[in-house]
Amino acid sequence: MSRLFVKPLVGLFLLALLAPALVHAQVAQPVSLELPGYVALESARDYEARARYPESSRALALGEVDPIRAKRIPAPHSLATPDVDGLLTVWSSKVSFEAGEPVVLHVAVTDLPADVVAGTRITGEVVDSDGHVLGKVTYRDGGWFDEATGDGVFSGLFRFPVARVPELAESFLVKVRAEKPDGEVLKAASGFLLSNPHGRLTGQYREELVDGNLVISAEVEVDRSGRFHLAGTLYDVTGQPVGWAQAAETLEPGTHWIPLSYYGLMFHERGARGPFVLGSVALSTTSGMPNALNDVVESPYRTRVYGLESFRAQPHGDPALLESAQRLRTEAFFSRLRATQ
Amino acid sequence: MKLRLIIPLALALLLAALVLPQAASAQPCFIFVHGKQTDTGTFTNWNNARNYWIDGSRDFIRTATKSFSASFYVVGYNGTRPYWESQAAGEVSNEILNATNGGADGGGNRCARTWSQGGTFWVVAHSMGNTVMDFILGNNDSSDPNFNFNGPYSDVANRISLVISVSGAHRGSEGADAVCGNSGALCNFLAFFIQDCDDATFWLRSDDGVQVRSFSNSPARNVWLTGGYEAIFGASACLSGEDDGVVQYASIYACGGSATASYDNSNACNNSFKQEASGFRNLDAGHENHDDIRDDTDRDTRRQIPDGIWNCSGVPCAPNTVVQSNTSTAQFVALLY
Repeated sequence: MSRLFVKPLVGLFLLALLAPALVHAQVAQPVSLELPGYVALESARDYEARARYPESSRALALGEVDPIRAKRIPAPHSLATPDVDGLLTVWSSKVSFEAGEPVVLHVAVTDLPADVVAGTRITGEVVDSDGHVLGKVTYRDGGWFDEATGDGVFSGLFRFPVARVPELAESFLVKVRAEKPDGEVLKAASGFLLSNPHGRLTGQYREELVDGNLVISAEVEVDRSGRFHLAGTLYDVTGQPVGWAQAAETLEPGTHWIPLSYYGLMFHERGARGPFVLGSVALSTTSGMPNALNDVVESPYRTRVYGLESFRAQPHGDPALLESAQRLRTEAFFSRLRATQ
Repeated sequence: MKLRLIIPLALALLLAALVLPQAASAQPCFIFVHGKQTDTGTFTNWNNARNYWIDGSRDFIRTATKSFSASFYVVGYNGTRPYWESQAAGEVSNEILNATNGGADGGGNRCARTWSQGGTFWVVAHSMGNTVMDFILGNNDSSDPNFNFNGPYSDVANRISLVISVSGAHRGSEGADAVCGNSGALCNFLAFFIQDCDDATFWLRSDDGVQVRSFSNSPARNVWLTGGYEAIFGASACLSGEDDGVVQYASIYACGGSATASYDNSNACNNSFKQEASGFRNLDAGHENHDDIRDDTDRDTRRQIPDGIWNCSGVPCAPNTVVQSNTSTAQFVALLY
């Protein structure tokens, strides 16, 4: 007898709770938010997807750019000066320069007649975070560090005093001033990071399979003890980024190997067997802030061919992400319940 | 026959009566993180941190928590320090952990449920508060460059559910560029946001050498992005594209590429072109400036942006569609849970 009531009981219970939401979904509102709890539910779905990989390694979607290279592309900054014609665009040739390297800076003057641009005098000041001026920069259109003459792009060179090399790294501001022939002044600011890394890549690499993951280790020569971070993007033979991995270790002076573990599932998802190319490798010293960034090394290593059966196909199942997802799903349920009250 | 329907119906109603009251208590706890400061007041006096969200009779926290029906906790950190320092990211991470443990903020407010009791926690951050959260959530794993740099970042990332970013300075601020570059009187901003090129402002420039993405990875939990597009006279002339008078859209919506690229409500970067590969999602935009958006004083128009969460007749609205009138960001937050 009791079994006769179970199905109707469950059905009526669910109907009582969800009916208002179902009605809402069927009647297209002119303008409406997604159903209550959408933000929680979407976040839960995102976490369940991300939980398939450990935080130290993830697959890159087809067409996704190399995240290491993307962060090292210096972006020009344009700043308008109110009530002054013209636009000043400023940038550094690199996001970070290693100590001893000349700092090359660029400025473009636009939205002005060519003769005005040609007659504009551009200077800069390199300033630290305390506001102290380290030196001045004169920008020229032409010169060995300027790509072309007459293109509206001016370049300047700055060499740091040896005594001013930071202990680890330091960020600097570049105040740019462009004085037009009529005396009007355009101003803008850019900057760069000056890095003094405590270790560097030797150029030696090795590979192995560990628990169904492809582990590529990079040899590092450490000058001073500290914490070191390594990241690498793996490409397939067609030149497409496949996956990314990172690792961090505290190391003493000497030679060490830092392993980058590419989680096996990514190769199944991309159907990629190798050989693979370590397309970008970035080492940094992260003993303090700001971190000291070594220059990115491109394509230093190529792996052998692997069969897909060599790689693990099981999702990682990050427990913290799955826990967050479960809590958010519960929260989303109650959000919709509250909306029906 | 009637018994087959009456008894299950009665039991269903009884079950609903038991479940429904839990709905009210299953709300997230809101943790509020303020933005940049020109003095240490929010760090040394909790009331200053609380008042950051109030203007006259309007109160962002009261509105967002539905008249305090959802529990909340207000963080106060030193907004004059760089986002990564111990009195910024370190302080914020420790306070968030305290909140999830059921500890009280400086005003005695506690989350209704602790983490161990199954609680969920939404961080609502304004302006530089988001730069701080990006650093914390992007350094939560032992393989991250600045793992647990000066606080329990891993615990924070494990416990919070998501972040609501309100006019966040994820890619810095062109306002900071202008002030540090001495761009002139008309580019100087409201004193309570940016007065001079102090330490916090220096680290809020849009230069890649100071940006948080250069020193962190994807946030461990989703950051949902909303911001303002009401200009501030004079100040907005110094910013690229749409802005709220202090922070440009490329930063508010955590865009990839150039931090000073020009965007507006019709072409703001979508969820596939963010400063990190994952973790940033679009919500919408409100006609509020950088100051109004944090204190519920401007209940104005809201517009859809690419990948935003508003529907028009059941399908996503076209970007730049007016989706609401007379609705502040605080009121919008109250609609999300």
